[in-house]
Amino acid sequence: MKQVEEKEEASVYQRVVLKNASPYHYLKVRLVLEDESTRLSAVELKYFIITGLKSLYGEVGAALNFDVLKYDEDTLTAFLRVYSRSLVKLWSSLTLLGSYQNKACAFRVLQVSRFDPRSSLIIRIFSEVIHS
Amino acid sequence: MVRLKSRYLLCEVNVSDRSQLLLLDDRAIMVAVKAAVARTHGDYGAAMCSIRFCVKYLNAHTGIVFLRFPKSCYKLLWSALPFITSVETRGQKIPCFLNCLHVGGTIRTCQKFLIRYNTQQLHRMLPKCKSEEEKRQVRKAILSCSLTESKEAFEEDSESEEEEEEEE
Repeated sequence: MKQVEEKEEASVYQRVVLKNASPYHYLKVRLVLEDESTRLSAVELKYFIITGLKSLYGEVGAALNFDVLKYDEDTLTAFLRVYSRSLVKLWSSLTLLGSYQNKACAFRVLQVSRFDPRSSLIIRIFSEVIHS
Repeated sequence: MVRLKSRYLLCEVNVSDRSQLLLLDDRAIMVAVKAAVARTHGDYGAAMCSIRFCVKYLNAHTGIVFLRFPKSCYKLLWSALPFITSVETRGQKIPCFLNCLHVGGTIRTCQKFLIRYNTQQLHRMLPKCKSEEEKRQVRKAILSCSLTESKEAFEEDSESEEEEEEEE
């Protein structure tokens, strides 16, 4: 299974595009805020990402379908699922989203994969075999 | 040879009140298009609009406007044109919509299309003439436009004659 991971120390970034793969892409992101004490609910997080899409890509971007599959409020880590065609738009708007309620913030994209990273390794290999 | 290619969109501005059409000017249309693109496609669209977009020709009598877009992104900017509901000029908001008639690679092809389109419209309008008097007026107006005058004058006269027929 090919996973594209961003590593701090590696200078080479490789994006592999496979045809006939699953229609979704999964992103694991963490929101890093200036003051550690603010908490967001899942709905607030989704709305925040939609405002980012709207400022960069307009009404058409804000209408992109993406889902927050799993959200951990304490670490502000979320699993997002998006259609593969919209991945570039979503990822670029996460990168350029800089402030939450007038305070600096950043989205760290920890993992991007084509198959659901929540499921176990066996199920992932199985689904890769089905899709290829 | 490397050449900067653009696409010219021939659009017609439809207004409900024909007298308001004369108030339009090209800067107002430019502002309206840029605002619609920024609303629909955000910062990305606004940036694409700033490269080589301009209003090349505007005929206030007939409501014809030529918009120039770069070839690489004209489809995206074209998709924002139906979201224009009004054009703001001289303190007045004129409700209108843009109707795209033709896409051409150069201004000359757009002009050729416009002449063909106007003659087709004229052929459609003439049978609706109610009296011989109107037909004679129309023919006189067209024949009086000499070829040495600019093509815009020709289109203006034929279109304004059609207007009069419609209203009568």
